Amino acid sequence: MAKFRRARQAEDVTQKPYTASTFAVQAVMTVVAVLFLFPLFVILNYSFKTKKELYLTSPLKLPDSLQWANYEAALKKLNLTTTFTNTFIYTAVSVLILALLCGVTAWAISRGKGKFFKFSFVYFVIGILIPFQALFLPIYTIGYKMHLTNTRYGIIFMYVATGISFGVFLMNSFMSTVPLELEEAARIDGCSVVRTYFVIVFPLLKPAFATLIIMQAFQIWNDYLLASLYVSKKGLKTLTVAIQSLFSAQASDYTTAMAAIVVSVLPISVLFLSLQKYFIKGMTVGAVKG
Amino acid sequence: MNKKKTMQDKMNRQYFLLIVPGMVIFTIGVILPLLLALRYSFTSWDGMTVEKESVGISNYINLWKDANFRQAWWFTIKFTIANTIVQNVFALLFAVALDSGIKAQKVYRTILFIPCLVSAVIVGFVWLKLYSNVLPELNEIFGTNINFLLFGDGKTVLRGLVIANNWQWIGYWMLIYLAGLQSVPSDLYEAAKVDGASAVQRFFNVTIPMLAPAITICVVGITTGSLKVYDLLVSSTGGGPGRASTSVIQMIYATAISGRQYGYGSAMSVTLVVILLMVAMIQVKGLKSKEVQS
Repeated sequence: MAKFRRARQAEDVTQKPYTASTFAVQAVMTVVAVLFLFPLFVILNYSFKTKKELYLTSPLKLPDSLQWANYEAALKKLNLTTTFTNTFIYTAVSVLILALLCGVTAWAISRGKGKFFKFSFVYFVIGILIPFQALFLPIYTIGYKMHLTNTRYGIIFMYVATGISFGVFLMNSFMSTVPLELEEAARIDGCSVVRTYFVIVFPLLKPAFATLIIMQAFQIWNDYLLASLYVSKKGLKTLTVAIQSLFSAQASDYTTAMAAIVVSVLPISVLFLSLQKYFIKGMTVGAVKG
Repeated sequence: MNKKKTMQDKMNRQYFLLIVPGMVIFTIGVILPLLLALRYSFTSWDGMTVEKESVGISNYINLWKDANFRQAWWFTIKFTIANTIVQNVFALLFAVALDSGIKAQKVYRTILFIPCLVSAVIVGFVWLKLYSNVLPELNEIFGTNINFLLFGDGKTVLRGLVIANNWQWIGYWMLIYLAGLQSVPSDLYEAAKVDGASAVQRFFNVTIPMLAPAITICVVGITTGSLKVYDLLVSSTGGGPGRASTSVIQMIYATAISGRQYGYGSAMSVTLVVILLMVAMIQVKGLKSKEVQS
């Protein structure tokens, strides 16, 4: 039913007549889009300028030639091979663990019967409202005492812990798409609970996992607060933390900093553009009826 | 019947075991810090020594009298209110505009969305340079005299940060409104049209009520997100000029880590968590009661 409804609306959108007022709206939105692109243009433009151009010519003027040396400098100053690998590992591993954990937790909560399971759901979901940003002091203290600070598994542990709430909530909203009859049939055939999950439920939840993974990946990739607290050692730093120190070090010569920004934004933008559909689905859970 | 019950019991036990790992991690990483913050907030701990001297509620009493803390809250509240209004209004306006049948809707959607993929630390730095180096150039080109140095003055710094924050997040909330708009069944509009409702009437009497779940998500998301502002300030204003743009989280950081007043900082944390939870609950309750049942 819900599918039917959505499909019909997709047609409606194209059926709206293109009138003079639509044209006016189009014109206004084009101006808005240009304004939104302006800062991005500035970043790109600066990232290709020489130092001389930076100081002597107008900031809006295009560079005479593309200065790839800025990118080389950015790679070196950011220690890019290390920081990029670190960020990638933290993001990828955290997101995979989150997918495994949240999927199975949300499923068990929705299939179990009794007060405990209802309580568990509330317990997890309340975490969405608890801002870990406000609790960074004890989060650091606990990590320090458990020897989690300045370790890879420590920061991954924290990303998982702070991401679980939203993950369970998101996965739970997809559980109704798994037909109970299939699970029951499997059980009659003698499938254990764990096997039922991995053989029957897991494959059916693929779109849900894609949504979960891209939502969390984008958060973790851009995280600053936790990363700056947990992994301050040189070899373990993340891209965002390295960029922040570059900003304060290169306050006047910021062509390198701008190149660094391009480098750090590119991967997540590519990921978003290729998986847009899933991303939007994750964002709009609960916002759309039906 | 009896057999069925033991079967469910057996399965419940396995379901329970599946929930345990997630629950343990969540409890250690989120709930335990919350309880620890509460405990430390009643001590004068400096974060280093073994002993944690209990001081009762004196940290909270001092907070009440702390002019700097009040100023940090005042800034955070103004920042939050401005964001909640501006972001919701523009996100909804842009969503309606994109849904009005314009061509290349997806291109606009992507352009407006891209800024939120950029880390807030980077957004802060980019706007710092925009205000100080790039935008003043426009004055020279157009011969105007607009003050673009928004981060340099305590009176304009809030405006500057709100603009930067909105550039980053409007597209995100717009997408949620857009999804909401596209799920409104078109027969509702037809019925309203037949009844002679004008476009404005249709917007307020059909669109807005049908968007209620999206409005709830956006209002709560923007409010709680703004109350937690920190990353944006790190590389832009650093809380200045003076203390003009110091947010609550930034003040917790300065107090507990640079100022070594861990107990006092924890009291600030607890205050922030309590207020955030209260605001979210009041908003959810208030907005949910306005949502129509369909």
